[in-house]
Amino acid sequence: MLIQLLNGVVYGGLLYLLSVGLVLIFGLRQVVNFAHGALFMIGAYIGYSVAAAGSWWGGLVVAVVAMAIAGCVLDATLFRALRKQDHIVTVLVTFGLLLILETLVTVIWGKAYLRYPMPDLLSGTVDIAGSPFPVYRLFVIVVSIVVALSLASWLRFTRIGLYVRAASTDARVTSIQGINVDRLSLIVVGLGTALAGLSGVVAGPLLSLSPTMGNYILIDSFIVVVIGGMGSFGGAFVAALLIGQIHNFGAIYLPWAGTMLPLLLMVGVLIWRPTGLSGART
Amino acid sequence: MPRSVHAFTAAAGTAMLAAMLATSALAADPLRVGVPTDLSGTYATLGEEVMRAVRFATDEANAQHGVAGHMVEIKSYDTEAKPDLARRQSEKLVSEGYTILTGTIASGEGLAIAPLMDRWGSIYISTINKADELTGANCVPRVFRVNTQSAMDAATVKPWLAQRKEKKWAVVAADIAWGRGSGALFDKAAAGLGKEMVADLYTPADINDFAPYIEQVKKSGAEGVWVVLAGRDAVNFAQQAKQFGLTRTVTVAGVSFTTDGTVKTLGDAAEGIYGIINYSSTLDTPENQSFVKAWTAKYSSPPTNFEGETYLGMQVLFQAVKQANSVKPDDIAKAMSGGEFDTILGKLKLRAEDHQLLKPNYFGVVEKVDGVLRPVVKTTVSAADVAPAVTCKMPS
Repeated sequence: MLIQLLNGVVYGGLLYLLSVGLVLIFGLRQVVNFAHGALFMIGAYIGYSVAAAGSWWGGLVVAVVAMAIAGCVLDATLFRALRKQDHIVTVLVTFGLLLILETLVTVIWGKAYLRYPMPDLLSGTVDIAGSPFPVYRLFVIVVSIVVALSLASWLRFTRIGLYVRAASTDARVTSIQGINVDRLSLIVVGLGTALAGLSGVVAGPLLSLSPTMGNYILIDSFIVVVIGGMGSFGGAFVAALLIGQIHNFGAIYLPWAGTMLPLLLMVGVLIWRPTGLSGART
Repeated sequence: MPRSVHAFTAAAGTAMLAAMLATSALAADPLRVGVPTDLSGTYATLGEEVMRAVRFATDEANAQHGVAGHMVEIKSYDTEAKPDLARRQSEKLVSEGYTILTGTIASGEGLAIAPLMDRWGSIYISTINKADELTGANCVPRVFRVNTQSAMDAATVKPWLAQRKEKKWAVVAADIAWGRGSGALFDKAAAGLGKEMVADLYTPADINDFAPYIEQVKKSGAEGVWVVLAGRDAVNFAQQAKQFGLTRTVTVAGVSFTTDGTVKTLGDAAEGIYGIINYSSTLDTPENQSFVKAWTAKYSSPPTNFEGETYLGMQVLFQAVKQANSVKPDDIAKAMSGGEFDTILGKLKLRAEDHQLLKPNYFGVVEKVDGVLRPVVKTTVSAADVAPAVTCKMPS
C-alpha cells in the first residue's frame, strides 16, 4: 500500500514538473503550448547525449540550461507575437512547432528507442515495507518537492514573483503599473521550458527515449492543468498528485476503467467548478 | 459502304486492340504493394523494421528487373498501430492502386481490414499480426498469414513451461487483441500443466508508468511472469521491472518482448529473459545465410526478427506472383492458397484451409555472445509440431 502510494507520488511529481511549465507559460502569455511535450522530449535527448558521453549530472545541467535558453528564444520570437492572436492560432502554431521538433530529433538521433542511463549513485533499491523500491524513484519525488517549494517561495516572497502573479492575473493592468511584462515573460517562459527539460531528464531513466515520448505524457499534463485551474500554480501541484494516485490505484482496483478515470475526473471538475480546483485567477 | 468493309475494320480494330493489350502486358503492370504500418505509435520501431525489410526485398527484386517482369512499387502510410486509422490508410492505399497490403503491426489492425478485402478487391498478407482469429474464427479468402500466430507460440512455450519448477505464474500483457489472446493461451497452457495463475494484468495503451503492475506481480507471489508487450511498452516495462528488482527474483519469459530490437536498447536489463523467437539471423539454412549476408552488406547489422519475418512475407508474395504470372490480387490469392514456397526458413506450405503458413518456431534466452547481448535460440520446434488446429470455416 505504502509502495503503491509512493508510485503515485512519483508519477504525480513528474506530471507536476511538466504541467507547472505549461501553467507558467499560459499565465503570462495566454499560450496553450502544444509543443511542451516536444520540449520535454528534447530535454531528455540533450541530457541523454551528455550522459552517454560520461556525465549524468552534467546532462541534467546542460539540458536545463539549454532548454532555458530555447525558452527565451521561443518567447521572444514566437509567443510574444502570438499574444495578440486568437487561441486557435496559438494552438496551431505550437502544434506545428511540435511536428518540427519531432522531425528534428528523428533526423539527429533516429527513431529507435534509446535507454537513458541511471547515475550510479541512484541505481540501487531500498527496502520499504519489506519490498525493494528503486532509489531513483525517491529521487524523482525529492526533485519535484524541491521544485514545488522553491517555485512557491519564489512566487510568494520575491518581487519578481509578485510581478509574475500580477501579470498572470492581468497582464495589461500590470504593465500599466510600470512593469515590463515582456521582460518578465522572457524569464517565466525560460523557466517553464527549463522545467520541461528537467522533467525530460528526470523521466529519462524511467521511460524509453523516442521522438514521440512527449505525446504520451502531454495529455495527462493538460488534464492536470485543467483540473488545477488554468494558470494556477498551487492547483497544478494538487491536481498532479491527484492524477498520479488515480493512475496508480485505477490500474489496481478498476483496471477496466483505468485510462478513463483522469478524463472522468476532468469532466466532473469542469461541471462542478468550471475554472478548476483553485478557481480562476482573472 | 459494303458489309465486308465493316467486317474488315472491325477485325482490324480488334487486332489493334489485341496488339495494344499484348504490348501493355509486355511492359508488365507493376506489382503495387501498400504498407500500412506504425510509423509513430507505440510500435514505431517495429514499423521501421517492417519498412526496411519491404524496401530491401523490393530493391532486390527490381535489381533483377522485377518479379517475372513486374517492377515492384511500394507505398506506405502511418497507422499509429490504431485499427481505425489502419482501415482508413489501407483504403487510401487500395484506392491509389496498391492492392496488395502487408505490414500492419497490431492484430487489431489486421482484424479491422481483413473483412474489407473482398469489397476493396485487394489481398492482405500478415507478417506481424499474431491474433489467432485472423486465420481462425475471422478467416476470409483474401487474407494470408506468413508469421507465427499465438497458438503456435503457445505450443512452443508449453514444453519449456512443463520442465520449469516455478509453480505460480502471472501474465502481464497489452490490453489489445494480441495481448488478450496470448495471455489466455498461456493461462490455458499453464493450467494444463498443473501451474497456478496468480495474476492476469492487462496494461492499457500509451501508458508511461508500469509501477502499479510490477508491484501487483510482486504482491501476487508469482515465481514466473509471462510478458506480452512489444515496442515502447516492452522497453519501458523491462527497464522499470529491473529497477524494482523484479527480474532478479522472478523468472521472466515473453513473446515479442525481448526481440533483437528491444535487447539492443535494454542492454543488461534484458539479460536472462526467456522468450519466443520467431526468426533469428543465426538460423542455419543456406537460404537464410545468404539473406543475412546480403542484408548485412547493405545495413551493416544482421536482420532482426521482424525484418526476417517481413522479408519472408515478401518472398512468399513474389513467388506467388511468379506462379500466377499475374499481379491481379485474385490470381495471387489463388497461387498463395495451398502453395509451397522457398523461404529463408526452407520450403514451407501455406495451408489452404485457413491460409496460415506452417513454419517452425523457436524458443531461447537473452545471452551474451561475443560480448554482445542478443536472443539466442535454445530449442527449435518443427513446423509440424507447432501447426495449430484448423478452426477456420473459410467463407466462399
